[in-house]
Amino acid sequence: MKGHLNTSLRYGVLIGVGFLMLYPLLWMAGGAFRPNHEIFNSIGFIPQHPTLEGFAKGWQTSTEYTFARYLLNTFAIIVPKVIVTVVSSVLVAFGFARFNVPGQRVLFGLLIATILLPKSVLLVPQYLMFREFGWLDTFLPLYVPSAFATEGFFVFMIIQFMRSFPADMEEAAVMDGCNSLQVLWHVVVPVILPAIISVALFQFMWSMNDFLSPLIYLSSVEKYPVALALKLSIDVTEATSWNQILAMSTIALAPSLILFFAAQKYFVEGITVGSVKG
Amino acid sequence: MIYGSRTSGLLYLSPYLIGLAVFTLFPFVASLLLSFSDYRLQDSLGTAHLIGLENYRAILHDRTFGKSLIVTLIYVFVTVPLKLAFALFIAFVLNFRLRAIGAFRTAYYLPSILGGSVAIAVVWRYVFAGDGLINQALAWLGASPINWLGEPAYAMFSIVLLRLWQFGSAMVIFLAGLQGIPSDLYEAARLDGASPWQVFRRITLPLLTPVIFFNFIMQVIQAFQEFNGPYVITGGGPLKATYLLPLMIYEEAFKYFEVGYASALSWCLFVLVAIFTAIAFRSSKHWVFYAGEK
Amino acid sequence: MTRRSVQLAGVSKQFGSTRVIHDVNLRIEPGELVVFVGPSGCGKSTLLRLIAGLEEPSRGSIHISGRDVTHTHPSKRGVAMVFQSYALYPHMTVAENMGFGLKIQGTPREEIATRVRRAAEILQLEALLDRKPRALSGGQRQRVAIGRAIVREPDVFLFDEPLSNLDAALRGQMRVEIARLHARLGATMIYVTHDQVEAMTLASRIVVLNGGRIEQVGSPLELYHRPANLFVAGFLGSPRMNFLAARVVRAERGFLELDVAGGSMRVTRGHAQPAASGLSVGDLVTVGIRPERLSLQAMAPHPATPAPNDTDPQDVLALRGEVTLLERLGSEALAHIRSHGERGETLVAKLPGDLHLEPGAQVTLTTAASSCHVFDATGNAVDTQTPVNGPFVADSSSAPLNEASR
Repeated sequence: MKGHLNTSLRYGVLIGVGFLMLYPLLWMAGGAFRPNHEIFNSIGFIPQHPTLEGFAKGWQTSTEYTFARYLLNTFAIIVPKVIVTVVSSVLVAFGFARFNVPGQRVLFGLLIATILLPKSVLLVPQYLMFREFGWLDTFLPLYVPSAFATEGFFVFMIIQFMRSFPADMEEAAVMDGCNSLQVLWHVVVPVILPAIISVALFQFMWSMNDFLSPLIYLSSVEKYPVALALKLSIDVTEATSWNQILAMSTIALAPSLILFFAAQKYFVEGITVGSVKG
Repeated sequence: MIYGSRTSGLLYLSPYLIGLAVFTLFPFVASLLLSFSDYRLQDSLGTAHLIGLENYRAILHDRTFGKSLIVTLIYVFVTVPLKLAFALFIAFVLNFRLRAIGAFRTAYYLPSILGGSVAIAVVWRYVFAGDGLINQALAWLGASPINWLGEPAYAMFSIVLLRLWQFGSAMVIFLAGLQGIPSDLYEAARLDGASPWQVFRRITLPLLTPVIFFNFIMQVIQAFQEFNGPYVITGGGPLKATYLLPLMIYEEAFKYFEVGYASALSWCLFVLVAIFTAIAFRSSKHWVFYAGEK
Repeated sequence: MTRRSVQLAGVSKQFGSTRVIHDVNLRIEPGELVVFVGPSGCGKSTLLRLIAGLEEPSRGSIHISGRDVTHTHPSKRGVAMVFQSYALYPHMTVAENMGFGLKIQGTPREEIATRVRRAAEILQLEALLDRKPRALSGGQRQRVAIGRAIVREPDVFLFDEPLSNLDAALRGQMRVEIARLHARLGATMIYVTHDQVEAMTLASRIVVLNGGRIEQVGSPLELYHRPANLFVAGFLGSPRMNFLAARVVRAERGFLELDVAGGSMRVTRGHAQPAASGLSVGDLVTVGIRPERLSLQAMAPHPATPAPNDTDPQDVLALRGEVTLLERLGSEALAHIRSHGERGETLVAKLPGDLHLEPGAQVTLTTAASSCHVFDATGNAVDTQTPVNGPFVADSSSAPLNEASR
């Protein structure tokens, strides 16, 4: 009897908390399909008079470009960023995990230190540097640094993953005649694929969420990613047409939501490999 | 090693070495130099003067900085312990062999994946707006509405809540840590006559300390760097009540163009974070238990 | 597959400041199956990895078939290795695993297929070629790992504790298969193990390693009957050899007389050359007796013990003691007996399985002095040893040189 009560209590807590947690998201998605007056007048999230007005008007935006433009810009930044992040992180992690390089301990220490370093410290000098390069108002500052394994967390994650595998598979490949790059490509990459997928997914999400960098580097509206466009639209349409903003927020979150549900296991694996196994 | 020469090892590390030098170490040092200068964003780099500790002296007398420092510390000290405690509690409840644990984990994890985005901040702003969701709920309960984003204390509450809402990633890590504790340890403790509380206090908690430590460090670092929430939801207001240091650094540099001053501020933030992580690492010797050690 | 010799000349290996291999000299003849055996940390795996090319020696050189391969890439040495963990590529099928080395070297696809099929046939893997390693049992994975080596058609096969991850029954079965494979391919094989049963059953020659040095090299029976030192004597044989402290009472040309645990014995064979062994009266030595060489006095003489009545009484060693524990194994029983000597050493005797004996019983153990091993104070065997005309003549005829004592 006591066990039953305990179990029901646990479910009660879990369901209650879960509902409260997800409510803002439900409210957002519901609001996207509701007329404005309905959003203001009921706390439910199920549309009584469903309408696509929010999407239709929101998509047009208050600027000269449609929302499609901003989505395309976002992907024009994120796709190269994810690719160069994965390539550089895998190469560097392989170097750390499987080679003996002079000063390796110091370099690894610096890698960890960069994870802990507040990014605000680097913000201004990086801005000045990219200004000297003539890269302002281009996408370059947003993804070029990632090509040089600057996100220590990803490198660390892959190193941890590589270290959890014994090296003898790679030794077998060496005896089979592979050079190190062939071992990496034919043996290591297929084996650590889950970690690579995790890195790609996290970088995708984080870049999707990134707001400060585009805010600093991009000045012309035609180059804005979704994050800036959303901020722009609340500044312009404030207080009037919530359903448009909620609809565009829903669209902005859709890629992340889809990826999250499709590949949840990689997210879980990704954050636990760096912490629990480390 | 098995791949032979050290040269090829360096070759693999070369992207990192370049990145470290160009995008981390150089800006890091440049930032320190800039903090001793009167450089302004629109000037050409040659016109800057070194003015010694002038920026730091100004910071000491800057009331805005004092306010920003206090709200930053409040923000960190409120969000980090609450978030960790809540994450641990939910992970602990989830760790009982319940059905649908996967579904709950998904539901709780989702907000921390999306939470950093501007879209969520925008939604948050509407949830806490004068005629937003929370006030509608209050009205429905018969309570009077609250000016969430207009009152300093409530505004802080709204951005604190946004961070607490994202407890999922810490929870997933705790859950993995809990699941990594071998069940025979629990059984042995039970056979020794330990009560559930004693099992938690003597077995679970000590074995979980490495994970707690990891989560603690990551949460502190992230909390000190929070920008999106206050920028989008409150704009740092009202009365600078949510004017966290990263926001102040951004505005000094890119709104008022005071690069030298902003750099000095960023170094203050850096030193603050460094002190906290150093204390955490130092103290970890006394409370973090690694199973591999004797 | 050609038969190749492998030669190590003055090979040393250092990791940082730790020396794990000390000046190893060894020649492995074409077609031999040589087993490296020793306790964990003795350097046997490192030695194998040096031959494989996965480590480079700090000093010395390695020759395969007379060619210096010390600095040659592992894949160019004509060696193939079977790893302890099998090290199969998890994302490739069995056939892809076996053919991967050939693919990397640019072998035409048809030839890869033919060679994979031939190897699969030898190992009865035909039905499994399209499976991934994860869908195989431990024994099957082991076979694939061997198959991968066969496909390469190497001159020398290297096995690194290949059976240690299998259960006992499977291990016995795979041991037989490896022996059969050696017979069929006739290739040179080097096999590392910590299991003395594998070493004894598989090897044409055994190399016993300890602390990075070779203790002794020889055929299995030679090592068993003529261990060069205390380490080898104690390492091979289960239960291990009994060791008793003794003192030299007489040392003359032709024989030694020892005072063992209160009793005394004479080692009279011509091998005992006090001059050569450097023993003199009063020296402390260690006497080693295999458990199966001990018998109870009251019982019918152990087949290995010469009948006492037609020899000098002093050629038989008699030890009195008390039975403290009896382990019955069915076909035999292991009796633990605390001797009444001043040190009270415990001896283990391997006795017939149906013996009537209880703990607490007072017994007298006997053994022929001729089946005792004598070791001097430094642990080296005094060359007294084992009867050339005893029941184990088999190995003494070939009598290869004892490399460690050279």
